Amino acid sequence: MDSDRRKVLRFIGKGSVLAAFLAQIGAAGRALFPNVLYEPPSRFKLKRPDDYPDGYTLDEAHRLYVIRQKDAFHVISAICTHLGCNVQWRDTEFDCPCHGSRFRPDGTVISGPAPGPLDWFSTTVSPDGFLEVDSAKDVARDFQLIIGANGKA
Amino acid sequence: MGDQIKALWRKTSWAWSPASERESSEAIVKNFWLHWFPAKVARASMDWNYSFWLGTASASLLLILTITGVMLMFFYVPSTERAYGSIKDLEYAVSFGRLLRNQHRWAAEGMVAVVYIHMARVFFTGAYRGTRAINWVVGVVLFLATLFLSFTGYLLPWDQLAFWAITVGTSIAKQAPLVGPTIQFLLLGGNEIGQQTLLRFYVLHVFFLPVLVWVLFAYHMWRVRKDGGLAVIERVRNERVMAPKATPKTKSYSLFGLTPGTSVQVMSSTGLEESDQVFSSPNMSRRIALVFLVVFNLTLLAAIIFNAPLEGLANPSVTPNPAKAPWYFVWLQELVASTTVRMGDFTVSGALLGGILLPGFLLAVLTMWPWLDRSPRSAEGRWLAPERKRQNATFAVATLAIIILIMVGVYLRGPYWRLYWPGQPRPETPRLY
Repeated sequence: MDSDRRKVLRFIGKGSVLAAFLAQIGAAGRALFPNVLYEPPSRFKLKRPDDYPDGYTLDEAHRLYVIRQKDAFHVISAICTHLGCNVQWRDTEFDCPCHGSRFRPDGTVISGPAPGPLDWFSTTVSPDGFLEVDSAKDVARDFQLIIGANGKA
Repeated sequence: MGDQIKALWRKTSWAWSPASERESSEAIVKNFWLHWFPAKVARASMDWNYSFWLGTASASLLLILTITGVMLMFFYVPSTERAYGSIKDLEYAVSFGRLLRNQHRWAAEGMVAVVYIHMARVFFTGAYRGTRAINWVVGVVLFLATLFLSFTGYLLPWDQLAFWAITVGTSIAKQAPLVGPTIQFLLLGGNEIGQQTLLRFYVLHVFFLPVLVWVLFAYHMWRVRKDGGLAVIERVRNERVMAPKATPKTKSYSLFGLTPGTSVQVMSSTGLEESDQVFSSPNMSRRIALVFLVVFNLTLLAAIIFNAPLEGLANPSVTPNPAKAPWYFVWLQELVASTTVRMGDFTVSGALLGGILLPGFLLAVLTMWPWLDRSPRSAEGRWLAPERKRQNATFAVATLAIIILIMVGVYLRGPYWRLYWPGQPRPETPRLY
């Protein structure tokens, strides 16, 4: 009876020290997963719609293309879906300099290693009249933002 | 006075140049730097043409990299704002700073090559049988750690080359099944390459991985001793067993009828004999010193002649065209660029197939090879033994394929990763940075 109690107490004693040790290793591992990211937000403003010429315009800072056809706007990601390099617009198609993926003007794959089409981002006009993009929101491949003469969508 | 200095010199250095066999033997016991060697080593393992001393050359490069690396740490600042500037300072403002960086760079690339060639030597001599299989696995881990050290060091200059090589590399990690995105998030310290990534790669590069490599290196050496030395001595042993000396029956054995034929003593004599062995000091210590000096001078020569590349400051919005990985990863880049498989709507990304599954398979086979090898033990410790002809051919073909992929990636890939033959004009691409 007495020895059983000792066994239990010994188990609790050693076990708690061991558990604390393992918990601290876990805590050190958890610390490596950041809670706060100092990264730009996924929703951001571009220039005013009228600042963009017809055709494909690269926005280097946000790594995307603004495509304007008269009143219709849409925004395609410039980040290759293969391994994250910036694709370049070459008059008729997008080409990736890293591994040679090629994309049609709508971002779908022609050839190369890219597993999927370029993202097509949700685009709106902000209340103060700027193009606003949400890169976390993917939209259908025929999405067009039509902007009237008053500058509103 | 002069005599006193001479006496002091003799007192501190005698272990390195023993004057007698007795001093050779005592040197191992009394000198800290020699005490991890056995007193005697097999004469055959001292042969330049058996091992080419590639393991010693790898260890020499590790030492050179540690010393030059610590020197570089005095100047390098792991911050996205100052990293590139501190490399520029090393090149233009620090006396011999460029030389230090060059030597670190060429020693690092040399180490990747020499460690691989060392592994090829061990393979072609079948030197991984029995208990040596453990050291083969340790060696594979050391090779991987060497590659990862090169990879983490690649980001630190924070130039265009660094930034985009790491973009591609960590995107490959993301393609690993299940844990991929977590690994990428953990490596980057976020969702994109930034200050956290630089700091993490820095700590991995200057502390975590070097400590790992040094500890594994020590274990690697300890195991060589526990396994009885280089595998070449198995060849010597096999020869001894195959040709047992014709000794007359000893009187007692034949009288008591304990054994027919030769005596027990001769049959059990599979160990090395006195004439097969030489003292470690000075026979081994001098060779190690010589190998180190040759390797050191070669890296120094390379550092004087060739400058380590440094491109423009890292620019996350402009990808260089073409963006190439360092040469020892270019074969992987070739694989990820050409192994995307499409079956109808179903697509397997080249990053998964060529970047994870295929190298993973190669690595698994490489690690398991000692247990796949079914050749007779007589093939052990011999260069290109006929019994292992097919195995050696397999390894050679795989190595050749990797070399061809590297050559294609380095010399034939032009803008947009298209193939251009040597001499064929390549289109001018705008350099936007």
